[in-house]
Amino acid sequence: MTNIFEDRFDRMLGQALHRHREPAPADFTERMMKAIERAEQQRILAGVVLQERLALAASAALGIAAIVAVVFFPSAVAGAFGSIGRGLVDQGGALAGRIPQALAAIGRQWQLYAVLGAAAAVAIYSLLDLLLGDRLRTA
Amino acid sequence: MVDKLWKNQQKGEWLRLLRSGDHQAFSRFIDKYKETVFLCCRRLGLREDEIEDAASDTFLAAYKALSRYAGQSDLSTWLWSIAYRKAVNHLRKNRRQWQLEEQLNEQVADERQPEMAAQLQGEETEKVVWEAVGRLPRLWAMAVILHYREEKSVADIAKIMGAGENTVKTYLFRARARLKETLAAAFGADVSDKYI
Repeated sequence: MTNIFEDRFDRMLGQALHRHREPAPADFTERMMKAIERAEQQRILAGVVLQERLALAASAALGIAAIVAVVFFPSAVAGAFGSIGRGLVDQGGALAGRIPQALAAIGRQWQLYAVLGAAAAVAIYSLLDLLLGDRLRTA
Repeated sequence: MVDKLWKNQQKGEWLRLLRSGDHQAFSRFIDKYKETVFLCCRRLGLREDEIEDAASDTFLAAYKALSRYAGQSDLSTWLWSIAYRKAVNHLRKNRRQWQLEEQLNEQVADERQPEMAAQLQGEETEKVVWEAVGRLPRLWAMAVILHYREEKSVADIAKIMGAGENTVKTYLFRARARLKETLAAAFGADVSDKYI
């Protein structure tokens, strides 16, 4: 400490004040810790409530936006959905056309695909065992 | 030297636990500093029913702010400034501004004269000194307690009280002069020669 006066009087004053004990309730710490736990629980609860409210607000906003779009811009919505639908049909057709070619390719190299399939099965089993091992064994 | 290192290491570990939100470490923190916080609130003149509220607010605020405590000032200086702010806020809540200023600057009315220290020893001397400090204007008393009891520097006291360093020096200078006067009268000539 840097005492700015430093003489006998200051030393006596310091010693006398040091000896003073201020009364505080004995159970204050315990009550304070309970209050802190309650405050923490409330904080967590407030976070969850906020998340739920945000999710609800987002879904409501999305629904309202969809209704507004259908009511005020029906042709644009119909056009957009139509093009998405056509795109899906085209992609599906192209994919279906490739299935016989893919089967023929697998048929030509079936040994390789058999080994890859077995390795994939072992990998999936290991992963399931790692994540749900106990439940799989006790089931 | 080794003891000091060991103590510093323990203090560092305790601070790390405190910052991480460890409840046991915080419980130790309350035990260590509750007396200090009650002293601050009581000296500023809060009513008994306000003191515990202000102390609870102080520790709750400290718990929330501990993760941001950078360790630039001493932990007790940091806590003192929170306690001081909370106590003044409690005073402000229930009193008008002029009443607050009056309360902080008033000399606490106490007509009792300290007993003559010719018969005083040990604990009794402490009681007389404490009573004399209690009769000072509250801001002076706060500066005296922080300087002589808590061993804070003028810069730290200024930080805690949100005042300028020169203001703190003035509080200390005037308080010291008043205490010398009061205690000289209380201790009587023979004892005052020894101390004053």
